[in-house]
Amino acid sequence: MNNHSNLQQSRILFWIISVTITIFSFQLIRLQLIDYEIYHKKSTNNSIKIIPIPASRGVLFDRNFKVVVGNKPVYQVTVIPAFFDTTNFQKIEKIVEIDSLAQLLVGKAKFTYSRYKPIILSKELEFEEVNRLIEYQNEIPGLNISIKFIRDYGYGVNGSHIFGYLNEISSAQLKINTNYEAGDEYGASGIEKSYEKYLHGQEGKKFAVVDSKQRFIKFLTENEFDVPAIKGNDLVLTIDKQSQIAAEKMMEGKKGSVVALNPKTGEIIALVSSPSFDLKSISALNKKEWREIVNHLEKPLFNRATMSIYPPGSSIKPIEALAAYNEGYITEDSRFNCSGGITYGNHFFGCDHIHGSVDLLRSIEKSCNTYYYEVFLKMGYPTWLKYFKMFGFGRKTNVDILEESSGILPDSNYYNRYLGKRKWNTGMLLSLSIGQGELAVTPIQMAQYVALIANNGKTIQPHFVKGIIDSKSNKYNELIFPEIKIDVDQQKLNVIKKGMELVVNGAGTATNIRSDLVKIAGKTGTAQNPHGKNHAIFVSFAPTENPEIVVVVLVENVGYGSTHAAPIAKKVIDTFLRLKE
Amino acid sequence: MKIKENLIDKIDYWLILPIIGLVIFGLLSLKSSTSENVLASGNFNKQVVFIIISLIIFLIFAFVPSRLFRLFSIPLYVISVLSLVFVMIFGKTVSGAKSWIDFGFIGFQPAELSKLAYVLFMSFWLSKKNVDINQPKYLAITTILSIIPIFLILAEPDLGTVIIYSILFIGYLFWAGISIFGLFVIISPPLILFISFFGSFAMMIGLILIIIALFYFRKDVFVSLSIFISNITGILLFEFAIKLLRPHQQQRILTFLNPAADPLGSGYNALQAQIAIGSGGFFGRGFMEGTQTQMRFIPEQWTDFIFSVIGEEFGFLGSIIVIILFAIIFFRLLILAQKLKNRFESFVTLGVLLTLFFHFLINIGMNIGLAPIIGIPLPFISYGGTAFLTYSAMMGIIISFYRTNSEHV
Repeated sequence: MNNHSNLQQSRILFWIISVTITIFSFQLIRLQLIDYEIYHKKSTNNSIKIIPIPASRGVLFDRNFKVVVGNKPVYQVTVIPAFFDTTNFQKIEKIVEIDSLAQLLVGKAKFTYSRYKPIILSKELEFEEVNRLIEYQNEIPGLNISIKFIRDYGYGVNGSHIFGYLNEISSAQLKINTNYEAGDEYGASGIEKSYEKYLHGQEGKKFAVVDSKQRFIKFLTENEFDVPAIKGNDLVLTIDKQSQIAAEKMMEGKKGSVVALNPKTGEIIALVSSPSFDLKSISALNKKEWREIVNHLEKPLFNRATMSIYPPGSSIKPIEALAAYNEGYITEDSRFNCSGGITYGNHFFGCDHIHGSVDLLRSIEKSCNTYYYEVFLKMGYPTWLKYFKMFGFGRKTNVDILEESSGILPDSNYYNRYLGKRKWNTGMLLSLSIGQGELAVTPIQMAQYVALIANNGKTIQPHFVKGIIDSKSNKYNELIFPEIKIDVDQQKLNVIKKGMELVVNGAGTATNIRSDLVKIAGKTGTAQNPHGKNHAIFVSFAPTENPEIVVVVLVENVGYGSTHAAPIAKKVIDTFLRLKE
Repeated sequence: MKIKENLIDKIDYWLILPIIGLVIFGLLSLKSSTSENVLASGNFNKQVVFIIISLIIFLIFAFVPSRLFRLFSIPLYVISVLSLVFVMIFGKTVSGAKSWIDFGFIGFQPAELSKLAYVLFMSFWLSKKNVDINQPKYLAITTILSIIPIFLILAEPDLGTVIIYSILFIGYLFWAGISIFGLFVIISPPLILFISFFGSFAMMIGLILIIIALFYFRKDVFVSLSIFISNITGILLFEFAIKLLRPHQQQRILTFLNPAADPLGSGYNALQAQIAIGSGGFFGRGFMEGTQTQMRFIPEQWTDFIFSVIGEEFGFLGSIIVIILFAIIFFRLLILAQKLKNRFESFVTLGVLLTLFFHFLINIGMNIGLAPIIGIPLPFISYGGTAFLTYSAMMGIIISFYRTNSEHV
């Protein structure tokens, strides 16, 4: 194929390449040699820099539109080592305190490749503190004062486990979430985490003319290119600030939790896990302090109200009574004789007192164990399991924060695994009937169970957020949560409620909180604790005829429910219903 | 054909040494533009890994018998077309174009690799003894074989790669010895299409020019008329095709055709790139000293605007060295393309030359303000694994040709 020597084509290509290279070379000569001064000046005097406009996170309001978590502007002082004269430190130090480590870093960085990277001298300063420094900003090259918003927790509510804390966004998350900037905060727990996409505010941009030392000259006039900052959406919570504060106060110095919710709507009125932590100081912790708080014996970061699991003790007896009653194993008048306990197999199962002949109402009022052993034997473990499943034990309530455990509802698979197939029977599980044994529940699950009783067999999934205020349209959108229903005979449920009413208002186990202002119904419980003193439990709802609030209180290692837990519940009920003593 | 035994003589230093120089410039600029960037600080190490992998591919290709490439050209073309279809359906969208296949741990761009497949396939096809490009039948087949991948890439849309393909296509016709009339038949429809974007008046002028050209060629009435009609239907078909696309796809294509509509986007980048290059002066500001680069005035500078890092930090001296290194590669490839006696090898070498040269032309052109902003990387310098791998494979093939024919060149 020698006829194709391509000589002519080669010549044309040769010229194309040669001309291109010549033109490029001339252009480089023009840019870099002839017009060097112009471009050098442009680079030193006239550069456009994107200035971020900070956007605040959404505010958290309580159910009455009172702020519980807000935002405040803070100022951050940074320097770019390459442009900064370290003798200026003295000037700055007269006005604001400077991190001495940062000072050292600036001095060092001046001679390294990272000298263009801003170093933070001081952060989270108030306006008054930086006011005079702002005047210096254009006098001291390399000095920069920027504003950002941080969370303001100064509204009298701790709420640490509800609201949750923030972390700086990690670079891994930054790659996935394109609407975040480095240094942005990101919800790490509680509502801040589960509602992150609503709460996050998106930083805006303004284009400014700066000189090569990054000193501000003026904003670009064509502000059509500006991107406005978008504030995060505000959330209206279901929390009642007053009740929350009251509950927090009552739990001070104690370990345990309080869950209060509206049985009709599932709205959580107050939720306390004690000990708690301080949201304000947690952001300032260093690594060592952080490790300390994480490994603290009392686990302050842990949300006991939704994550801790306890044996519920006698507090669940109403479910068992309802199960046997509703399935026809007993009537209201069925009586069992209590002589201080029963013997089953080789074991003796005790009761606190010798109650004599006990009917359904008295069994709840007096919390007679013997009655429930007998009922359990009569209806059998499968019926027990069916009703506890129905009331939501053994699975998450799906409350709208992500920290939650499902507890343990021991089903037959569970026993087959631990005791062996066919190696167990109803009698061996007798302690389940008084809320001991393998059953383990979270306080929020208990609140849901009481809500189902109080509101006649239906309630709504517990939640913290009532609605979202869209920051762009300013419209309020109410959130809708799924309904939860159980199918029981209303007449029979009323008897159970009556029994719970007698606990407080009859001759029951919690008469110490009887009140003339509101009729409270409840049930005491004592969770056995092999490691120390028992946990006190009290579950309650009020007012009995038309319940508006359910309160579950659990105090660890103190003893009896009526003495330690019931008064806390009463206080929360009184506060929520705005009753004066 | 005689194969030289001495290993030293098997490698063409006129190609390899300039490439090593370019890679060094690339790594320095990448280091400088990414080291203080939170999101890109890992790119330097990634690029080093890409280069090592590419080196292995290069060595394999360089020592494979050169006739094998001819055998692989058909399956490679089929695979590349299939992978372009695959990316159209399952691809991941990165900065407006659906051009990535994501394997989780690593992603790659089929359009980059398909350039190599296209080069090999076209070379195979046009070097067949019976293919005469000046016969309408063969011209039509060649056109169809080229338009398939071009349309698939246009759908992503990746305008830069479409331009490279079009240039390769025209370059191949040219190298195959097409007549000026044949070239006119192929070029006039896209040209009139492009002109029609500037309004109906411009389109009218274009059509008149085409009529004049047809008279000049003095072909018979039937041929002239059918070419004129095909031009007009081409425009109408394109208008129709655009209407079939969803609005955001239309928008993407239109923005690509008129990048000036986004002044603080790509226009801003071009301006800042020029300031960076101009302020470099003769010696440059020094490694990691450029304020334009270090203050991150140009977003993602390590990809399409990496030449501005060289301009700012290594000055005129650095920039001109880079251009000279490229020039050496281009002239060397041109000599090889002309002297290789095997038609297939000559075509492949031409394809590699055209690919590299037009990347160079568009990329540096836009950096120094002589070409519109089209997203296209600078070979051997810009950050990007698939592109580097593709160019290394191309170079490996050229070295393999050189090795088998070295006594001739």
